Amino acid sequence: MRGLQRAVLALGLGLLVSLVVRFLGGDPTAPATGGWRELSGPDLR
Amino acid sequence: MSTQRVAVLGAGILGVRITRELLSPRAFGESPNLAVTTVTRRVDRLNLLRNQFGSQVQMLSDETGTGQLPKDITTVIVARAAGEQYEVAKEQLTLGRDVITTSDDPAEVQRLLELGAVATSVGKTLVVGAAFAPGLSCLLASHASELLDRVDEIHIARHGAGGPACASQRLRALRGTATDWRDGAWVKRPGFSGRELCWFPDPIGARDCYRAALADPLVLVPAFPDVTRVTARLAATRRDRVLAPFPVWLPAPAEGGIGAVRVELRGERDGRREWVVYGVLDRPAVAAAATAAVTALWLGSRRVAPGATGLAGLGATSELLGELAFRGVRAAVFEGSQGS
Repeated sequence: MRGLQRAVLALGLGLLVSLVVRFLGGDPTAPATGGWRELSGPDLR
Repeated sequence: MSTQRVAVLGAGILGVRITRELLSPRAFGESPNLAVTTVTRRVDRLNLLRNQFGSQVQMLSDETGTGQLPKDITTVIVARAAGEQYEVAKEQLTLGRDVITTSDDPAEVQRLLELGAVATSVGKTLVVGAAFAPGLSCLLASHASELLDRVDEIHIARHGAGGPACASQRLRALRGTATDWRDGAWVKRPGFSGRELCWFPDPIGARDCYRAALADPLVLVPAFPDVTRVTARLAATRRDRVLAPFPVWLPAPAEGGIGAVRVELRGERDGRREWVVYGVLDRPAVAAAATAAVTALWLGSRRVAPGATGLAGLGATSELLGELAFRGVRAAVFEGSQGS
Protein backbone atom coordinates (compact mmCIF):
# COMPACT_ATOMS: atom_id res chain seq x y z
CA MET A 1 0.00 0.00 0.00
CA ARG A 2 2.81 2.37 0.94
CA GLY A 3 4.60 1.57 -2.34
CA LEU A 4 1.47 2.39 -4.30
CA GLN A 5 1.12 5.74 -2.52
CA ARG A 6 4.72 6.62 -3.34
CA ALA A 7 4.23 5.62 -6.97
CA VAL A 8 1.10 7.76 -7.28
CA LEU A 9 2.88 10.67 -5.60
CA ALA A 10 5.85 10.33 -7.97
CA LEU A 11 3.54 10.19 -10.99
CA GLY A 12 1.63 13.25 -9.80
CA LEU A 13 4.80 15.24 -9.22
CA GLY A 14 6.14 14.21 -12.60
CA LEU A 15 2.91 15.27 -14.28
CA LEU A 16 2.94 18.61 -12.46
CA VAL A 17 6.53 19.36 -13.43
CA SER A 18 5.94 18.36 -17.05
CA LEU A 19 2.85 20.60 -17.25
CA VAL A 20 4.79 23.56 -15.82
CA VAL A 21 7.62 23.03 -18.30
CA ARG A 22 5.17 22.47 -21.16
CA PHE A 23 3.07 25.56 -20.65
CA LEU A 24 5.66 28.01 -19.38
CA GLY A 25 8.51 27.02 -21.64
CA GLY A 26 11.41 29.35 -22.17
CA ASP A 27 12.46 32.04 -24.59
CA PRO A 28 13.20 30.55 -27.99
CA THR A 29 16.79 30.63 -29.07
CA ALA A 30 17.29 33.14 -31.84
CA PRO A 31 19.30 32.17 -34.91
CA ALA A 32 23.00 32.66 -34.10
CA THR A 33 23.71 34.75 -37.16
CA GLY A 34 21.86 36.32 -40.04
CA GLY A 35 18.69 38.24 -40.65
CA TRP A 36 16.06 39.17 -43.19
CA ARG A 37 17.01 41.09 -46.34
CA GLU A 38 14.27 42.63 -48.43
CA LEU A 39 14.18 41.39 -52.02
CA SER A 40 14.80 44.28 -54.36
CA GLY A 41 14.91 44.91 -58.11
CA PRO A 42 17.74 42.55 -59.15
CA ASP A 43 16.27 39.70 -57.06
CA LEU A 44 12.94 40.00 -58.81
CA ARG A 45 14.20 39.84 -62.40
CA MET B 1 -6.04 48.94 -75.87
CA SER B 2 -9.37 47.28 -75.08
CA THR B 3 -10.94 47.73 -71.67
CA GLN B 4 -10.50 44.88 -69.19
CA ARG B 5 -13.69 44.42 -67.21
CA VAL B 6 -13.13 42.85 -63.82
CA ALA B 7 -15.80 41.79 -61.34
CA VAL B 8 -15.10 41.25 -57.66
CA LEU B 9 -17.63 38.90 -56.08
CA GLY B 10 -17.76 39.71 -52.39
CA ALA B 11 -17.33 42.98 -50.54
CA GLY B 12 -15.97 41.93 -47.18
CA ILE B 13 -12.54 42.99 -45.91
CA LEU B 14 -10.85 41.17 -48.79
CA GLY B 15 -13.27 42.16 -51.56
CA VAL B 16 -13.08 45.87 -50.75
CA ARG B 17 -9.30 45.80 -50.57
CA ILE B 18 -9.14 43.98 -53.92
CA THR B 19 -11.38 46.67 -55.44
CA ARG B 20 -9.04 49.37 -54.10
CA GLU B 21 -5.99 47.57 -55.50
CA LEU B 22 -7.62 47.28 -58.92
CA LEU B 23 -8.19 51.05 -58.96
CA SER B 24 -4.45 51.70 -58.68
CA PRO B 25 -3.40 54.01 -61.55
CA ARG B 26 -0.42 51.86 -62.60
CA ALA B 27 0.06 48.14 -63.05
CA PHE B 28 3.09 46.40 -64.54
CA GLY B 29 4.52 49.76 -65.62
CA GLU B 30 1.45 50.77 -67.62
CA SER B 31 -1.82 52.56 -67.03
CA PRO B 32 -4.46 49.83 -67.07
CA ASN B 33 -7.64 50.42 -69.05
CA LEU B 34 -9.93 48.90 -66.49
CA ALA B 35 -13.58 48.88 -65.43
CA VAL B 36 -14.37 47.40 -62.01
CA THR B 37 -17.65 45.93 -60.81
CA THR B 38 -18.04 44.84 -57.20
CA VAL B 39 -20.90 42.61 -56.14
CA THR B 40 -22.16 42.18 -52.60
CA ARG B 41 -24.95 40.16 -51.04
CA ARG B 42 -25.35 42.65 -48.17
CA VAL B 43 -27.53 45.67 -48.81
CA ASP B 44 -26.05 47.72 -45.94
CA ARG B 45 -22.59 47.16 -47.38
CA LEU B 46 -23.78 48.13 -50.87
CA ASN B 47 -24.89 51.61 -49.83
CA LEU B 48 -21.76 52.20 -47.77
CA LEU B 49 -19.46 51.21 -50.62
CA ARG B 50 -21.43 53.20 -53.22
CA ASN B 51 -20.70 56.28 -51.14
CA GLN B 52 -17.08 55.29 -50.72
CA PHE B 53 -16.18 54.45 -54.31
CA GLY B 54 -18.59 56.77 -56.14
CA SER B 55 -18.54 56.41 -59.91
CA GLN B 56 -15.17 54.65 -59.96
CA VAL B 57 -16.76 51.28 -59.26
CA GLN B 58 -20.04 49.80 -60.46
CA MET B 59 -21.61 48.41 -57.29
CA LEU B 60 -24.14 45.63 -57.77
CA SER B 61 -26.42 43.89 -55.31
CA ASP B 62 -26.61 40.12 -55.35
CA GLU B 63 -28.94 39.23 -52.51
CA THR B 64 -29.68 35.82 -54.00
CA GLY B 65 -25.97 35.00 -54.26
CA THR B 66 -26.25 33.80 -57.86
CA GLY B 67 -23.56 36.13 -59.15
CA GLN B 68 -25.45 37.50 -62.20
CA LEU B 69 -22.99 39.82 -63.90
CA PRO B 70 -23.00 42.10 -66.95
CA LYS B 71 -22.12 40.13 -70.09
CA ASP B 72 -18.96 42.09 -70.91
CA ILE B 73 -17.11 41.05 -67.73
CA THR B 74 -13.91 39.23 -68.75
CA THR B 75 -12.29 38.41 -65.41
CA VAL B 76 -13.91 37.46 -62.11
CA ILE B 77 -12.26 37.51 -58.69
CA VAL B 78 -14.14 35.46 -56.12
CA ALA B 79 -13.65 37.06 -52.69
CA ARG B 80 -16.33 35.23 -50.76
CA ALA B 81 -15.63 33.23 -47.60
CA ALA B 82 -13.69 30.00 -47.98
CA GLY B 83 -16.13 27.18 -48.70
CA GLU B 84 -18.50 29.44 -50.69
CA GLN B 85 -16.41 29.84 -53.82
CA TYR B 86 -16.67 26.61 -55.82
CA GLU B 87 -20.17 26.96 -57.28
CA VAL B 88 -19.76 30.56 -58.37
CA ALA B 89 -16.27 29.91 -59.78
CA LYS B 90 -17.57 26.99 -61.84
CA GLU B 91 -20.51 29.05 -63.10
CA GLN B 92 -18.34 31.99 -64.14
CA LEU B 93 -15.79 29.70 -65.76
CA THR B 94 -18.40 27.96 -67.88
CA LEU B 95 -19.66 31.41 -68.94
CA GLY B 96 -16.23 31.92 -70.53
CA ARG B 97 -14.50 34.15 -68.00
CA ASP B 98 -11.08 33.92 -66.40
CA VAL B 99 -11.63 33.25 -62.70
CA ILE B 100 -9.40 33.95 -59.71
CA THR B 101 -10.35 32.33 -56.41
CA THR B 102 -9.06 33.21 -52.96
CA SER B 103 -10.19 30.19 -50.96
CA ASP B 104 -7.82 28.53 -48.49
CA ASP B 105 -10.19 25.69 -47.64
CA PRO B 106 -8.37 22.50 -48.74
CA ALA B 107 -11.49 20.56 -49.74
CA GLU B 108 -12.69 23.46 -51.87
CA VAL B 109 -9.24 24.05 -53.36
CA GLN B 110 -9.10 20.39 -54.38
CA ARG B 111 -12.50 20.66 -56.10
CA LEU B 112 -11.45 23.87 -57.83
CA LEU B 113 -8.28 22.24 -59.15
CA GLU B 114 -10.47 19.46 -60.57
CA LEU B 115 -12.16 22.10 -62.76
CA GLY B 116 -8.99 22.16 -64.88
CA ALA B 117 -10.64 20.18 -67.68
CA VAL B 118 -13.60 22.60 -67.74
CA ALA B 119 -11.23 25.58 -67.88
CA THR B 120 -9.25 24.02 -70.73
CA SER B 121 -12.42 23.20 -72.67
CA VAL B 122 -13.58 26.84 -72.56
CA GLY B 123 -10.04 28.16 -73.14
CA LYS B 124 -9.94 30.13 -69.87
CA THR B 125 -7.71 30.22 -66.82
CA LEU B 126 -8.82 29.36 -63.30
CA VAL B 127 -6.32 30.55 -60.71
CA VAL B 128 -6.82 28.64 -57.47
CA GLY B 129 -5.86 30.17 -54.14
CA ALA B 130 -4.62 33.64 -55.11
CA ALA B 131 -4.45 35.07 -51.60
CA PHE B 132 -1.92 35.18 -48.75
CA ALA B 133 -1.31 31.45 -48.21
CA PRO B 134 -1.90 29.88 -50.63
CA GLY B 135 -1.12 32.59 -53.15
CA LEU B 136 1.77 34.72 -52.04
CA SER B 137 3.30 31.60 -50.47
CA CYS B 138 3.21 29.90 -53.90
CA LEU B 139 4.92 32.87 -55.56
CA LEU B 140 7.65 32.84 -52.90
CA ALA B 141 8.16 29.09 -53.31
CA SER B 142 8.34 29.44 -57.07
CA HIS B 143 10.86 32.28 -56.84
CA ALA B 144 12.98 30.51 -54.22
CA SER B 145 13.07 27.36 -56.36
CA GLU B 146 15.06 29.28 -58.97
CA LEU B 147 17.92 29.48 -56.46
CA LEU B 148 18.17 25.69 -56.26
CA ASP B 149 19.05 23.07 -58.88
CA ARG B 150 16.63 20.61 -57.35
CA VAL B 151 13.85 21.16 -54.82
CA ASP B 152 13.18 18.28 -52.41
CA GLU B 153 11.09 19.89 -49.69
CA ILE B 154 8.79 22.88 -49.32
CA HIS B 155 7.60 23.95 -45.88
CA ILE B 156 5.09 26.77 -45.47
CA ALA B 157 4.20 28.51 -42.22
CA ARG B 158 1.63 31.27 -41.77
CA HIS B 159 0.86 33.66 -38.95
CA GLY B 160 -2.31 35.74 -38.69
CA ALA B 161 -5.67 36.03 -40.43
CA GLY B 162 -7.48 38.63 -42.54
CA GLY B 163 -11.13 39.37 -41.85
CA PRO B 164 -13.64 37.52 -39.64
CA ALA B 165 -14.30 34.82 -42.28
CA CYS B 166 -10.56 34.20 -42.54
CA ALA B 167 -10.27 33.98 -38.75
CA SER B 168 -13.06 31.37 -38.68
CA GLN B 169 -11.35 29.39 -41.43
CA ARG B 170 -8.09 29.54 -39.43
CA LEU B 171 -9.81 27.95 -36.45
CA ARG B 172 -11.42 25.28 -38.64
CA ALA B 173 -8.00 24.55 -40.14
CA LEU B 174 -6.36 24.11 -36.74
CA ARG B 175 -9.14 21.77 -35.63
CA GLY B 176 -9.11 19.87 -38.92
CA THR B 177 -6.86 17.29 -40.54
CA ALA B 178 -3.65 18.33 -42.25
CA THR B 179 -2.69 16.85 -45.60
CA ASP B 180 1.07 16.63 -46.14
CA TRP B 181 2.86 15.43 -49.25
CA ARG B 182 5.45 12.82 -48.34
CA ASP B 183 7.40 10.59 -50.75
CA GLY B 184 4.81 10.73 -53.50
CA ALA B 185 1.69 10.23 -51.37
CA TRP B 186 -0.72 12.33 -49.35
CA VAL B 187 -0.44 11.75 -45.61
CA LYS B 188 -3.20 12.78 -43.20
CA ARG B 189 -2.14 14.18 -39.83
CA PRO B 190 -4.23 15.67 -37.02
CA GLY B 191 -4.37 19.43 -36.63
CA PHE B 192 -2.41 20.90 -33.73
CA SER B 193 0.23 18.18 -34.09
CA GLY B 194 3.84 18.53 -35.26
CA ARG B 195 4.74 21.66 -33.29
CA GLU B 196 7.66 23.48 -34.85
CA LEU B 197 9.28 26.78 -33.93
CA CYS B 198 9.36 28.97 -37.02
CA TRP B 199 11.08 32.33 -37.34
CA PHE B 200 9.04 34.93 -39.20
CA PRO B 201 10.30 38.36 -40.28
CA ASP B 202 10.58 40.88 -37.44
CA PRO B 203 8.72 42.06 -35.43
CA ILE B 204 6.80 38.76 -35.34
CA GLY B 205 9.87 36.62 -34.74
CA ALA B 206 9.57 33.08 -33.37
CA ARG B 207 6.17 31.38 -33.25
CA ASP B 208 5.06 27.86 -32.54
CA CYS B 209 3.49 26.47 -35.69
CA TYR B 210 1.25 23.41 -35.91
CA ARG B 211 -0.11 21.22 -38.66
CA ALA B 212 -3.54 22.32 -39.87
CA ALA B 213 -5.97 21.71 -42.71
CA LEU B 214 -4.29 24.06 -45.18
CA ALA B 215 -4.45 24.19 -48.95
CA ASP B 216 -0.86 25.14 -49.80
CA PRO B 217 0.40 21.59 -50.45
CA LEU B 218 -2.51 20.95 -52.85
CA VAL B 219 -1.52 23.82 -55.15
CA LEU B 220 2.24 23.44 -54.73
CA VAL B 221 2.62 19.74 -55.56
CA PRO B 222 1.34 20.09 -59.17
CA ALA B 223 3.81 22.96 -59.70
CA PHE B 224 6.75 20.96 -58.27
CA PRO B 225 6.19 17.39 -59.48
CA ASP B 226 9.59 16.13 -58.24
CA VAL B 227 9.26 17.41 -54.69
CA THR B 228 9.25 14.74 -51.97
CA ARG B 229 7.85 16.67 -49.01
CA VAL B 230 5.41 19.58 -48.79
CA THR B 231 3.98 20.69 -45.45
CA ALA B 232 2.00 23.69 -44.24
CA ARG B 233 1.67 24.93 -40.69
CA LEU B 234 -0.21 27.66 -38.87
CA ALA B 235 1.13 29.74 -36.01
CA ALA B 236 -0.95 29.28 -32.87
CA THR B 237 -0.56 29.93 -29.18
CA ARG B 238 -0.82 27.52 -26.28
CA ARG B 239 -4.12 29.22 -25.44
CA ASP B 240 -5.43 28.38 -28.94
CA ARG B 241 -4.44 24.78 -28.36
CA VAL B 242 -6.03 24.48 -24.92
CA LEU B 243 -9.26 26.18 -26.04
CA ALA B 244 -9.48 24.30 -29.36
CA PRO B 245 -12.18 21.82 -28.25
CA PHE B 246 -14.48 24.56 -26.96
CA PRO B 247 -16.91 26.74 -28.97
CA VAL B 248 -15.84 30.31 -29.70
CA TRP B 249 -18.07 32.87 -28.01
CA LEU B 250 -16.20 36.04 -28.89
CA PRO B 251 -16.59 37.32 -32.46
CA ALA B 252 -13.43 37.72 -34.54
CA PRO B 253 -12.13 41.29 -34.95
CA ALA B 254 -13.07 43.22 -38.12
CA GLU B 255 -9.53 42.76 -39.36
CA GLY B 256 -6.66 40.81 -37.89
CA GLY B 257 -3.33 42.39 -37.04
CA ILE B 258 -0.04 42.04 -38.80
CA GLY B 259 0.62 38.61 -40.26
CA ALA B 260 3.42 36.81 -42.03
CA VAL B 261 4.14 33.90 -44.26
CA ARG B 262 7.36 31.92 -44.27
CA VAL B 263 8.46 29.60 -47.06
CA GLU B 264 11.39 27.24 -46.62
CA LEU B 265 12.78 25.21 -49.51
CA ARG B 266 15.37 22.47 -49.13
CA GLY B 267 17.19 20.88 -52.01
CA GLU B 268 20.46 20.79 -53.90
CA ARG B 269 22.67 23.39 -55.53
CA ASP B 270 25.97 22.57 -57.16
CA GLY B 271 25.84 19.09 -55.67
CA ARG B 272 25.44 20.35 -52.08
CA ARG B 273 22.46 20.38 -49.74
CA GLU B 274 21.08 23.92 -49.57
CA TRP B 275 18.08 25.68 -48.10
CA VAL B 276 16.33 28.95 -48.92
CA VAL B 277 13.95 30.80 -46.59
CA TYR B 278 11.65 33.55 -47.85
CA GLY B 279 9.17 35.57 -45.83
CA VAL B 280 6.61 38.34 -46.14
CA LEU B 281 5.30 40.56 -43.37
CA ASP B 282 2.00 42.38 -43.94
CA ARG B 283 -1.64 42.46 -42.97
CA PRO B 284 -2.97 39.21 -44.46
CA ALA B 285 -6.00 40.91 -46.07
CA VAL B 286 -3.82 43.61 -47.64
CA ALA B 287 -1.30 41.14 -49.07
CA ALA B 288 -4.04 38.74 -50.21
CA ALA B 289 -5.96 41.54 -51.92
CA ALA B 290 -2.87 42.80 -53.72
CA THR B 291 -2.03 39.26 -54.85
CA ALA B 292 -5.52 38.61 -56.22
CA ALA B 293 -5.69 42.01 -57.91
CA VAL B 294 -2.30 41.82 -59.66
CA THR B 295 -3.14 38.29 -60.79
CA ALA B 296 -6.35 39.58 -62.38
CA LEU B 297 -4.49 42.44 -64.04
CA TRP B 298 -1.87 40.01 -65.35
CA LEU B 299 -4.52 37.68 -66.76
CA GLY B 300 -6.18 40.59 -68.49
CA SER B 301 -3.06 41.82 -70.21
CA ARG B 302 -1.20 38.61 -71.13
CA ARG B 303 -1.93 35.30 -72.77
CA VAL B 304 -1.94 32.59 -70.15
CA ALA B 305 -2.36 28.87 -70.82
CA PRO B 306 -5.92 27.71 -70.10
CA GLY B 307 -6.56 25.34 -67.20
CA ALA B 308 -6.63 25.40 -63.41
CA THR B 309 -3.45 26.33 -61.58
CA GLY B 310 -2.05 27.81 -58.41
CA LEU B 311 0.13 30.89 -58.64
CA ALA B 312 3.35 28.85 -58.72
CA GLY B 313 2.21 27.32 -62.00
CA LEU B 314 1.12 30.56 -63.65
CA GLY B 315 4.59 31.29 -65.08
CA ALA B 316 4.68 34.92 -63.98
CA THR B 317 6.41 34.70 -60.61
CA SER B 318 8.95 37.53 -60.99
CA GLU B 319 6.48 39.85 -62.67
CA LEU B 320 3.84 39.34 -59.97
CA LEU B 321 6.34 39.66 -57.10
CA GLY B 322 7.79 42.79 -58.71
CA GLU B 323 4.35 44.37 -59.00
CA LEU B 324 3.51 43.35 -55.43
CA ALA B 325 6.75 44.95 -54.21
CA PHE B 326 5.78 48.12 -56.11
CA ARG B 327 2.49 48.08 -54.18
CA GLY B 328 4.26 47.67 -50.84
CA VAL B 329 3.99 43.90 -50.35
CA ARG B 330 7.68 43.17 -50.06
CA ALA B 331 9.24 39.74 -49.76
CA ALA B 332 12.44 39.12 -47.80
CA VAL B 333 15.04 36.39 -47.82
CA PHE B 334 16.64 35.03 -44.65
CA GLU B 335 20.41 35.11 -44.85
CA GLY B 336 22.25 33.41 -42.03
CA SER B 337 22.64 30.22 -40.07
CA GLN B 338 20.62 27.15 -40.93
CA GLY B 339 17.78 26.10 -38.70
CA SER B 340 16.20 29.53 -38.57
